[in-house]
Amino acid sequence: MARPESGSDEALLRAVAAGDAGALTRLYERHAGALFGYLYRLAGDRMIAEEILQDTLLAVWRSAAAFEGRSKVTTWLFGVARRQAHNRLRGRSGPEPVGAPLADRPDRGAGPDELAIAAAGGTPVAAAIERLSDHHRDVIALVLVAGLPLADVAEVLTIPVGTVKSRLHHARAAVAAALTAQEVPE
Amino acid sequence: MNEMLPAYAAGSLRGADRDRVRAHLEGCARCRADLAAWRALADAATPGGTAPDAAATVRAVLTRSAVEGPAGPPGDGAWTRRLRYAAALVVAEVRLIRLAVPVASALMMALGVAVVVVQAAAVAPPAAGADVVLALVAPIVAAAGVAGTYRSARDPVAELLAATPTAGPLLLLVRLALVFGYDLVLAVAASVALSATAAGGAAGLDALIAAWLGPMALLSSVSLLVAVRFGPDVALGAAIGLWAVRVLAGGVFADDNWPARLIVDAWSTNAAVLAVSAAFGIAAVVMAGRLGPHGGEPQGGWRATHPT
Repeated sequence: MARPESGSDEALLRAVAAGDAGALTRLYERHAGALFGYLYRLAGDRMIAEEILQDTLLAVWRSAAAFEGRSKVTTWLFGVARRQAHNRLRGRSGPEPVGAPLADRPDRGAGPDELAIAAAGGTPVAAAIERLSDHHRDVIALVLVAGLPLADVAEVLTIPVGTVKSRLHHARAAVAAALTAQEVPE
Repeated sequence: MNEMLPAYAAGSLRGADRDRVRAHLEGCARCRADLAAWRALADAATPGGTAPDAAATVRAVLTRSAVEGPAGPPGDGAWTRRLRYAAALVVAEVRLIRLAVPVASALMMALGVAVVVVQAAAVAPPAAGADVVLALVAPIVAAAGVAGTYRSARDPVAELLAATPTAGPLLLLVRLALVFGYDLVLAVAASVALSATAAGGAAGLDALIAAWLGPMALLSSVSLLVAVRFGPDVALGAAIGLWAVRVLAGGVFADDNWPARLIVDAWSTNAAVLAVSAAFGIAAVVMAGRLGPHGGEPQGGWRATHPT
């Protein structure tokens, strides 16, 4: 592997592997917004997102030396974050099972919907996103919240770019359908 | 064009692609509407609030790293870490076993082999077989070793062990595996040596092993059980006593009365004997976990630390 340019993500990660805590801080600062936004979207709760963020940075701190430079640091970082989120969120009562079209669900009345809306940050769209299946929400969070290029998203999720695109469109259609069912204009 | 819009809306599109999308949007109302929908979705999906402070977060992470113990070398899975731990435990236990125990065991076994060899040379063929001698020596050697695996009060390392975070039964199990495994290897080696030199007479290797395996397992497990409950000295005495009864029943008493036959049958190699031995062994380890707070010292006995 060529010597990483100083100041690059690779160089920072090398320094982290060598035990440089300052490098970890700089690496985190560089990706903080995207990384935390992604985790917040997945967890749906700020406290839990912060815990997963710590798990992620701890994993980075401990396994930085295992980074082989075969992928970009960004995709490696999000891969670690995704695994940590999965570890912590596993077993939590999840959203609707994969592929269940939200539009087919009977309207459960205002009570739970309003609660979900409030929990998801106050907007019906956010509530609908909250109810997406895991892999739809993952794609939305990586592309639209973290702002990762589609090629990177494909690498993080280890799926083809075409699948990323189709999942994005399905996710949007599901959100639109959920909103139509609630008769809220998108 | 359509499929670049999500990335464009999220701002992750760069260079020529971004310029192309921008140019296209000028003249395409449908794509502008589509883009607006993606933007609305992106806005709704983006949670409010800023990311946690970098310095504070990294500090918390470093604290956790220190508190939760050092990580294994990079790339380690949970299994390699566990294996490494087990290996370290075995090495540590090996260093704690008194040299006298393995040396005495080996000498006893060597004596047994020597008796067979000498006898085979001195006496005409229908001499006492190698299987008989091995069956007499191997079980008592193993039982004596196993009785010593249970940490006695006089053991100078008992105090140290009482302070280790590793569970007492686990330590006992490791020590047991070491000592019993060592005696097993010794006995097998003796059997191989005897069957190879033909001093063992007609008996094959499997017959030789069958002669001592069951009794060795049973006597050792009884010895361990007694050691856990009453201490190693009592266990050693019990093992010797039991074995004396077996030896007498097999040789001195009349062969054909039923108590003697029963005793000899109980000390042979078969599935029932091995199962009972295993059950005794498990019971002993479980009991070691229940007894005493200091890794299973005998109840009411000496404690590693004295209350002041």
